[in-house]
Amino acid sequence: MAQPAISVKDLSFSYGDTLAVDDISFDVAGGEVIGFLGPNGAGKSTVVKMLTGQLTPQNGSATLLGMDIVKERKQVQQEFGISFEFTNLYEQMSAVENLNLFAKLYKVPDFDAMNLLEKVGLGGREKEHVANYSKGMKQRLMMARALVSDPKMLFLDEPTDGLDPVSTETIHTLIRAATQQGTTVFLTTHDMVEADKLSDRVAFLNQGKIVALDTPARLKQRFGMRALKVEVELPNGDIEVREVTLDEDQTPQTVFDLLKNERILTVHSEEATLEDIFFDITGRGLQG
Amino acid sequence: MIGTLVVNDIKLFFRNRFFAIVTAIGVVFYLIIYFLLPNQVDENLGMAFFIEDREIPLYQRLIDENDENPGGDYTIFDSEAEMLTALEETGDFFVGLSLPADLSAAAARGEQVELNAYYAPGVPAEAKQIFHDVLVLVANTINPETLASLARFNDTGIVLGNDMTGAPLSMRDRFAPLLLMMIVVIEVFGLATLLNRDVDNGTARALITGPLRLHQFFVGKALMGMVLAFGQVLLLSAVMGILGTAPLLLLTTLLLGSLLMVGLGFFIAAISKDNTSVMGWAIVFIIPMVFPGFSVLLPGLSSGWMELIPSYFFVDSLHRIINFGAGWADVAGNLAILLLVGAGSMAVGTAAILRKF
Repeated sequence: MAQPAISVKDLSFSYGDTLAVDDISFDVAGGEVIGFLGPNGAGKSTVVKMLTGQLTPQNGSATLLGMDIVKERKQVQQEFGISFEFTNLYEQMSAVENLNLFAKLYKVPDFDAMNLLEKVGLGGREKEHVANYSKGMKQRLMMARALVSDPKMLFLDEPTDGLDPVSTETIHTLIRAATQQGTTVFLTTHDMVEADKLSDRVAFLNQGKIVALDTPARLKQRFGMRALKVEVELPNGDIEVREVTLDEDQTPQTVFDLLKNERILTVHSEEATLEDIFFDITGRGLQG
Repeated sequence: MIGTLVVNDIKLFFRNRFFAIVTAIGVVFYLIIYFLLPNQVDENLGMAFFIEDREIPLYQRLIDENDENPGGDYTIFDSEAEMLTALEETGDFFVGLSLPADLSAAAARGEQVELNAYYAPGVPAEAKQIFHDVLVLVANTINPETLASLARFNDTGIVLGNDMTGAPLSMRDRFAPLLLMMIVVIEVFGLATLLNRDVDNGTARALITGPLRLHQFFVGKALMGMVLAFGQVLLLSAVMGILGTAPLLLLTTLLLGSLLMVGLGFFIAAISKDNTSVMGWAIVFIIPMVFPGFSVLLPGLSSGWMELIPSYFFVDSLHRIINFGAGWADVAGNLAILLLVGAGSMAVGTAAILRKF
């Protein structure tokens, strides 16, 4: 693997006696989308805060794009865009003014705020005060602000939490577009569908520890159980649902018998979700 | 970068209708007050007399003087009650002296004599001192031998602030330092609110996690406060027409006064949780900050403890420069204290705000 975009080694952080992040290590390749999955309080946001220079790690080290996150904090911060967990926009300013302010501070030449606002679906409402925006609109503007400096890396902390489907889809589209241009994305979420859909790899974080880190497909393969759900019509006219577990020795025979002897109405394949796997590994759900 | 932040903050300040209106009204209101105040000193120190024994030489002397200068400063009343009513209600007299009937005889016998002086409301302490001296002289005109007993009064007055005896100021001149300080003090509220909001809403975090360095953020905020406070006090000074008096010294004083208030704004923002608590804390701090201004307005109120309030050094410097032509050496100590307290409170406020990030 070439030099990783993010390299984390033995990172830890405690809030008083509460250990929030417990000795985690991982690498993220350039252009990769890594999803950090975990329930509230698992330590996701603390990891983001340390990597983005908002908190200083108490133990361990990390580099972003080859730069130490503590020693070269400001240089690092110039290289990424961030969408925070909570909206923190200038509410008494318009969307254009918000973006233009950051573009000026980043010294972005020939910045076109309208182009970016069109991309996040805020065209036509760009001159309204942000205070009048819905939560989804604010979150899309946060995303746009993160993209102002055309960063090499994006930190997205719960970017779609509580959003309507349209806003969620807009943000997903933006993330995909960014990754197509080679941007590395660090995504924290407790939405397993979102993580599954967007992430090249996902890390399960539980009580400050990474308990699993792999591609969604491999995690499902390793931990999940594939099955077929078959609806069968019985001779008396009743309908019965039968589950056939795949990947077992007797599976071919079971399927053959079903096809031969029963009147099959529907067949659906089933695979484990990331939430199922998280539950299997940690014994707790992602919403908890 | 800092310039961009300052411009943005000032835009936000004036976009807040409350701040914009309060600022505009403040400047206009203070100027109206200033120009409505009399620019003349009323030097007519009217004295009221009730002399029970009209045989004493003083009575005839006052009658003669009034004949020579009709409408002069002396008025003799027929009763003590009439004199007191005039003293209380007309506003024409600063002091009334009541001389009892046996004054002459008692004085002649060398006995202690009790004379009553009644002062109109609002007569400053130093004026009372002057009238006391007059009283002694009056008594001595009755019997010079009483000088020894009356002279036993050994009043020692300590003048806090400037001794204005012999250098009377018009109300407009007296008010000028107070108004200048008020306009600066009011800005504490605006700065603290904006700063607190930036921290509370997380915009400060967005800035320092992104394009700005921490020190740039705080320098930007301090500059914004200075621009608002110093800008307004400069405008006020220019319209008042006082900038011609030692302009460099005056500007330095106004700048340091603004720095003091910016430091206070930082401190209030640091200890406040939201806009409501900013308002509460601002009131707690602003009201005492205004107290020293009244020592200029009413010198008799001046007390030593006022020097514990940092704004004392601001208003005292302004007063001395504007009204007494003080120079650098006269106010250097005050300016040093302003610089220290302003920078100190800003440092403490910054440290406390950092804990909120």
